[in-house]
Amino acid sequence: MDALIKEFRAAYAAERGNDLAKTLTPDLTESPDRLLAIWNSGGPQSIKDDLKFLFFRDKSAQLRMSREEGEGWQEIYFTYWKALGEILAVEGRRKDGAKSSWTKVYEAWKEFTSQIIRGYTNHDFENWTIPCLYVAGRYMRLYAIRADAERSANGGADDAVTNFQDDFDPETEKHKSLEDCARQLNRIFNTCLSDRAPLAESRKWGIYYAINLLFKTYFKLNSASLSKNVLKVLSAGRGDMPDFDSFPKSQRVTFKYYEGVLAFLEENYVEAEKHLTLAWQMCHRDATRNLELILTYLIPCHLLTTHTLPSAKLLEPFPRLQKLFLKLAVAIKEGDLRAFDQALTDGEDEFVKRRIYLTLERGRDIALRNLLRKVFLAGGFAEAKEGEAPVRRTRVPVAEFSAAMKLSGGEELDADEVECLLANMIYKNLMKGYIAHERGIVVLSKNGAFPGTGV
Amino acid sequence: MAADKQPTTAEKPEQPQTAQKSAAALEEDDEFEDFPVEDWPASETEAAAQQQAAAGAASAATEGEGKGDNHLWEKSWDDDDTSDDFSAQLREELKKVEAAKRR
Repeated sequence: MDALIKEFRAAYAAERGNDLAKTLTPDLTESPDRLLAIWNSGGPQSIKDDLKFLFFRDKSAQLRMSREEGEGWQEIYFTYWKALGEILAVEGRRKDGAKSSWTKVYEAWKEFTSQIIRGYTNHDFENWTIPCLYVAGRYMRLYAIRADAERSANGGADDAVTNFQDDFDPETEKHKSLEDCARQLNRIFNTCLSDRAPLAESRKWGIYYAINLLFKTYFKLNSASLSKNVLKVLSAGRGDMPDFDSFPKSQRVTFKYYEGVLAFLEENYVEAEKHLTLAWQMCHRDATRNLELILTYLIPCHLLTTHTLPSAKLLEPFPRLQKLFLKLAVAIKEGDLRAFDQALTDGEDEFVKRRIYLTLERGRDIALRNLLRKVFLAGGFAEAKEGEAPVRRTRVPVAEFSAAMKLSGGEELDADEVECLLANMIYKNLMKGYIAHERGIVVLSKNGAFPGTGV
Repeated sequence: MAADKQPTTAEKPEQPQTAQKSAAALEEDDEFEDFPVEDWPASETEAAAQQQAAAGAASAATEGEGKGDNHLWEKSWDDDDTSDDFSAQLREELKKVEAAKRR
């Protein structure tokens, strides 16, 4: 404990938030011996006495800190020590061979987190210490996930007995810890948000880290709508928030990714593309998995907003994305309806899981548009008037489109269906012209029958 | 104040999460990963990587194509290649349609 508090003092004196947070890491993989040594430095009573001595009576190294604040830190290190005991136990590292469960770890860490939050609300912790909040929140979420996984692996045996009530809901039961965790994270979020101190000293600097943790948690809980609420609260308070650009890139990229995906899920593709493009550009070049995730949503966005397809070069570093999108992109480009349908069916499970199925489905319109354009090109040129450049034939019989759809899609559609599809294309501004129903022809616009092209 | 007091190179321990990920199979899979560092200069962003690649490509090729990230998205997806099998087939079909109409 002495060594730990020495580290604390050094970090505190230098006001280095990250160093301070490091003294509170529960990460066993980094320095297991160190954490074990801390745990073994005494029993509950002697640890309490030690801390009291170190914070209040040790004249050798007093920090300029109010008694209030000192008490806050003392509590934090005590609950940290207790949580370490559970963590070491669950990992089977305790010398006394004690066992524990992730649920207990979670509960212990939650208590620790509460003490940290209390530090800000009751003990006037300064804002440079917020990385401590990050450590608390980050691991709390991990432990909650593990606790839930552990319970479902045990068949929920330990809980099923006590929870045999009428309102038993297996779904909430499955994520019991994580849902509780979401509430705790929300407290962290509010702790940051509600700070009225001037910006330079404000906890608002912690806001995006807290939000990102919340987003991750809500997504896991499948409640994107709760994330929306966070965004609403954020935009309401945006006026007195630090400038978004002054936050570290890791926080900005993560935030933009989730903001983009949220817009995407609401089918607001223009917004989504904006956020995702920012995330993509700012993302660290070596963070392949994250780039891949961003593109998973950015590619469907591009399909619908700017009608652009990813190039082979863009997909090159991402085999997983190639598998997802390549066949589909080729089918769209070639106007091959059958290949498109096939690619969509093949990828269905994956697309549904990523929540991009419905968006990609709309790509069929683009494939159809390309097919119709082929009919147009195959129609050749109308007889040119003297002295004028030849003009493409713009009166195309519905029967020709019909034949093309049959050829490409593999099934025969009746004339009404075809006309309906054509009308749709015109409505969506993918094709310009009108249908002369009685005569069974489509009269296409002479300039730019298929917008966005040179024809 | 707060932001610049945080050293930019602070390593965040990542092992437990990634280890957990491989174990917890696909579900975890979808999650945006924590970055190993908190912040990085503009030169290490994906945008910079793309610009470099574009510049490299432009100097290598005699005729520089698009700049910026243009080459990543196919601007026009108009397939003007009318010599492929499908187009040939299509022309055949259209001829049949034509013939049927004359009859």
